[in-house]
Amino acid sequence: MQEFFELARKLLAEQLDVEIDSILMETTFEALEADSIDIVEMIMGLEDIYHVEFPEEELEDFPTVGSLITALYQYLQEVGK
Amino acid sequence: MITKAAVDAMGGDHAPAEVVAGALAWAADNADNHLLLVGKQEVIEAEIASIKEAGGFACSPEQVVIVNANEVIGCDESPATALRRKKDASIVVASALVKEGKADAVISCGSTGAQMAAAIFILGRMEGIDRPPIIASLPGEGGHRTLLVDVGANVDCKPAQLLQFALLGSVYARSVLGIASPRIGLLNNGSEETKGNALAQQVYSLLKEQEDINFIGNVEGRDLFSPIADIVVCDGFTGNILLKALEGLGLFFASSIMKEIDKPPSILESFDYSRVGGAPLLGVNGVSIVCHGSSHREAVANGLRIAEECFRNGIVARQAEELAKCEL
Repeated sequence: MQEFFELARKLLAEQLDVEIDSILMETTFEALEADSIDIVEMIMGLEDIYHVEFPEEELEDFPTVGSLITALYQYLQEVGK
Repeated sequence: MITKAAVDAMGGDHAPAEVVAGALAWAADNADNHLLLVGKQEVIEAEIASIKEAGGFACSPEQVVIVNANEVIGCDESPATALRRKKDASIVVASALVKEGKADAVISCGSTGAQMAAAIFILGRMEGIDRPPIIASLPGEGGHRTLLVDVGANVDCKPAQLLQFALLGSVYARSVLGIASPRIGLLNNGSEETKGNALAQQVYSLLKEQEDINFIGNVEGRDLFSPIADIVVCDGFTGNILLKALEGLGLFFASSIMKEIDKPPSILESFDYSRVGGAPLLGVNGVSIVCHGSSHREAVANGLRIAEECFRNGIVARQAEELAKCEL
């Protein structure tokens, strides 16, 4: 999980041009000024790395980076990646 | 030169009837204009049949192909998530046709957000561009036209994104309009450097430092119709409100003047969005023309003429070439 989180926040930090340390599990997307395009871009980046297609989630259900990453990680576990 | 346009037949307040009618009118302009009408096949077929019945089908049947797409992304949906969820949406399929080289341009009167998301995720962005803006051309004194960027693709903008809009506007003016050193202004509520909200002040500093552009400082709303600047940069929220206010003002003037004279001055026609039809998204790897949601057939046909012009002028390659010279 930690490795997955590190990868996700690295992608997000590059996209948003922010310091990677400013992205924590409890950080909200709102605080990062990340819109739905930023979030979907991060998800697609992870999909490319893991060769998987995550289910289409309602992004509004995941206000923090941690809540989304946890849900994506759980899906990876389910599909055995 | 054949131009193949992918038309999102299902997007817009008056779709599919007005979109299909406008698209067929554009095809009738020239035998080289080919249409890929994207949407529900049976619905589009019914529209074409009705136009034929009314005697309005003036192009050759070989110029028109229907590409089936069963879904539509509405304006009330979150664009990025809807794009992932609705892979068979008309704007997704139409944009993919451009990506795959089967069409030269995509045009839509539907959700601007969905079209922008499709441009980002399907066509792809040019190097160094976060968000593609929409560029619009405003009429002005002595035939001068001022380009306004962004007129609605990005409602919440970061300072760096406005800098990118300035660069893209400059690249567009140089490469497509042939203006050697386009003058760029920042839309603000005063001309002094210290004017404006926090975003405007931060953008001012960035623009001032950027060497690749000819930044002339802040411009006010009243300067938009004078030949002070070639490009005026603003966030898409402000730009869209401004553009629609101008449309409303044009309509108000036209209706008021019509009470006193028989025919309004022709200048008022330049405020009529249907005469322009559409505006390109800049900074993406394909021609994507955004049309007004309320477009009727005339606006759709004119939007397709803009798409044709953008494709024939090679705006994508020209932007990429010029952008590569800029320091982003």
